[in-house]
Amino acid sequence: MKTQGKKLLLLIAFLSFIIGYSQVKISGKVTFRGKGVNEINITLKDTYDGATTDAQGSFSFETSEKGSHILTFTHPKYQDVEKTITIDNQDVVMNAELKEQISEIDAVVVSAGSIEASDRKRATALLTPIDIYTTAGADGQISSALNYLPGVQKVGETEGLFIRGGTGTESKIFMDGSLINNYFSSSVPGIAGRDRFNTSLFKGNIFSSGGYSALYGQALSGALMLESVDLPDQSSYDLGISPIFLSVGFQKLGADKNHSFGGTLGYSLLSVMQKVFNFNTDFIDAPQGLNGDFNFRIKTKSGGFFKYYGMYDSNKMGVRTESLEPEYDFALIRLKGKNTYHNLSFKQKFGKYLLNAGTSYSYNQSDLNFSTETNDTESDKSKLLTDGNYINFKAVLERKINKISALRAGFELNNTNENLNFGEVQKNYKDLISSAFMETDLGFSNALSAKIGVRAENSSFLGKTNIAPRFALAYRLAKDWTTSFAYGWFYQNPESKYINGPADLDFQKSQHYIFQVQRAAEGRSLRFEAFYKKYDQLIKTFNITPDKEQNQQVQTALNNNGDGYAKGLELFWRDKKTFENIDYWVSYSFLDSKRDFINYPVSLKPNFASAHTLSVVAKRFIPEWKLGVNLSYTYAKGRPYYDIATKNENSSVINYVRNEGKLKDYNALNISFNYLPNLGKKDAKAFTVFVLSVSNVLGSKNVYGYNFSNDGSRSSSVVPPVNTFVFIGAFISFGVDRTQDAINNNL
Amino acid sequence: MKKYLLSFALAFMSLTAFAQADYEKVMTEKIAKIETCKTAEDFQTLANDFQRIGSKESSKWLPPYYAAFSQIQKGRLMMRNGNMQGLDETADQADKYLASAQNLAGADNAEIHLLRKMASSLRMMVNPAQRYMTDGAKAVEEMGIAEKLDPANPRVALIKAEDTYFTPEQYGGSKTKGMEMFKEAVTKFNAYKPKTALDPNWGKSEAEYFLNMPGK
Repeated sequence: MKTQGKKLLLLIAFLSFIIGYSQVKISGKVTFRGKGVNEINITLKDTYDGATTDAQGSFSFETSEKGSHILTFTHPKYQDVEKTITIDNQDVVMNAELKEQISEIDAVVVSAGSIEASDRKRATALLTPIDIYTTAGADGQISSALNYLPGVQKVGETEGLFIRGGTGTESKIFMDGSLINNYFSSSVPGIAGRDRFNTSLFKGNIFSSGGYSALYGQALSGALMLESVDLPDQSSYDLGISPIFLSVGFQKLGADKNHSFGGTLGYSLLSVMQKVFNFNTDFIDAPQGLNGDFNFRIKTKSGGFFKYYGMYDSNKMGVRTESLEPEYDFALIRLKGKNTYHNLSFKQKFGKYLLNAGTSYSYNQSDLNFSTETNDTESDKSKLLTDGNYINFKAVLERKINKISALRAGFELNNTNENLNFGEVQKNYKDLISSAFMETDLGFSNALSAKIGVRAENSSFLGKTNIAPRFALAYRLAKDWTTSFAYGWFYQNPESKYINGPADLDFQKSQHYIFQVQRAAEGRSLRFEAFYKKYDQLIKTFNITPDKEQNQQVQTALNNNGDGYAKGLELFWRDKKTFENIDYWVSYSFLDSKRDFINYPVSLKPNFASAHTLSVVAKRFIPEWKLGVNLSYTYAKGRPYYDIATKNENSSVINYVRNEGKLKDYNALNISFNYLPNLGKKDAKAFTVFVLSVSNVLGSKNVYGYNFSNDGSRSSSVVPPVNTFVFIGAFISFGVDRTQDAINNNL
Repeated sequence: MKKYLLSFALAFMSLTAFAQADYEKVMTEKIAKIETCKTAEDFQTLANDFQRIGSKESSKWLPPYYAAFSQIQKGRLMMRNGNMQGLDETADQADKYLASAQNLAGADNAEIHLLRKMASSLRMMVNPAQRYMTDGAKAVEEMGIAEKLDPANPRVALIKAEDTYFTPEQYGGSKTKGMEMFKEAVTKFNAYKPKTALDPNWGKSEAEYFLNMPGK
């Protein structure tokens, strides 16, 4: 037995020796669409033998295996290929043609009209919360930072995003899919309200300047979708101090890391600054505000995720302006606003389905008090009281199809109940907008994808229904170059503030055509967009002056006979690569627009549309000094202004332009500094950021518009409350060492 | 009959022995190649080689470990050349290999946790501002696990030294402190005995490279 075994062993050793020395060469070329591809892994299955292709797609290796084998060609970007080969004594040549592996990361994304600022799309993120905080002149407000992107008009006197020739109310803001009513604080005419929401609440945002998804509606121009943060990484406490505000906050993370809760409380008062700076506006009550918010997040055992955010805020101010009317010296307006907003959202995966549901409730109250002053005596006050209750519910079910396609469908309910009280006038406006929508992302290949959607809405107030189709296509031209096209219909109800009498009204409508070419490469991105927007069924109004004692005119909707258009070109260039430690971007917008709407007697260039807008933002971090220096500059060509009055002729109302003109060009240079003294200090207990920002450093005297007296004979300019403003503040957080954060932000 | 069976068994044993010898030979050869790789392509080729060995030797953790290591080295080269966009893919590949390595080796392998740390660091570099809180935190966590599992591991010491060395002084890093740590790492390397000839043993020359840099 022993000898036999030995013999066998010898035989095997001999055989393997022979085999070992009769090597056969296997070679070939691997191609994709006729071109050689490198880094393809070729394996002779179940052996160590194989090779990797070179830059030309060629490979070759030697093997001592014999007989029938399988040769595999693998690479994460391509589909696996298997080929059967027979190895005798001759060399084998085996070529392979690959098919691309369709994947979410490589697939081209429809980006016409939208700028995404979350990390989901990886390197394409354009504007993150940190970008917003470090943009000079943005005051840490999301909406202000968007002014430095193409497509957004610089309109200083009114809050809201004025997108591509659209009014501020033609854009809507969403939080985790739910509409935010009254995103901006209540305001008095001529002074824009501020963002009520804290920028750091949101981890990312998608800003769409047109052609947006069928999941969203009731905005003729554009939408801003904000995504709130998830569970915090650690518990922390924050403190903010400045001469104009004080705020405290905390975030507590549960030990199981499955839930968290937190809240903030803040108070602001502008009066100290009023003493220091030369304000244009005469505040009889300095703007002041009190705000608080609370949030919780819970991850359920079954993989669901609840997020709640609730806030309350109140603000107050009083403004005195020199009267344009001969009967009295001053006109006074006092504002008291109250607002509360609650948002609960839920997200869970059920097999192939993803459910996203959200509901929000908000209550907004804005009380305006008008009076006049003659020889230091104040007249009786007339009150304009408005309050509104808003309930929003939305559910979206998504199903993935293949790797890069998906189908989404859902419904949305928006209930509005507003009351207005003005002397004798009592108004109650109620509307329930019910919407259903469906959208599909179709990925044909990594280079071609489409989005087709439809949205239908019914408004109980209008008693009408609309159907809005939307469509978009994206194609990758080359490695870094993509192009996309979007087209869609968009509907929006007339604003309730215009509905002051009986009229047969309908939805207002716009159509968007957007063409985009984009180049996104390492550290640099370039976007070019051309758009055409057509408006139909815009509402027409006439003016009524309800009270001779003050010059607040009220516009009342008449019909939907208005129309208009906007077309333009936009350019965006961002570069983080060319200069070390410097991140800068440039945006330019050209806009040509005309509208016949509200009280415009004919088609006019709207008073919120500037033909040319240019802005430049630059940020530099100087590590040695622990200092960040940020600059921004905006130039906007002068907008037109109009004084439009209404007269009765032959028992019909006629609007006419009494005065018109052109504003001077707007420009402002802003600068801000962030100093981080504890940067890099080991074991620092508190992390502090000192902020110094100066808006409009050069002191340009910008004019936002003109007010006219009731008879149109006298006018005064609408100017910013202050020409140049200086803000200083300190933000301190305890518990979390954000040092690394700061370093990495500036690497 | 019994005889035949026995000789068959013997024959099989010797066959396995041969295969074992082959495995060790091919692994030794490929591991030696790590030192000679100069480009991202070289490392990709090496990763593929290890992947191939791993798919045949599906019970051994070292092939996927080295495949992941080659991917990470490729990523680090790409990072040095400023090609940040490809880092995600490279890190994804590395993590895939690391997952199978960990399945085979168990969760208490410090070498695997160290590579996980390195993969997370690569991913963070794509967009540090956004990813510090996620990938950055993951890197810190994995490093902590690796250090706890094997405090004497010289590779853990090396990567810590590099982190310190490359972090600017204003942020708590230090070239001098980094150098000290490289020295410690070399001491650890001299004291370290890998379990087998094939077990991870890389990094000494990297530590020495830093120590021998001119002007230091």
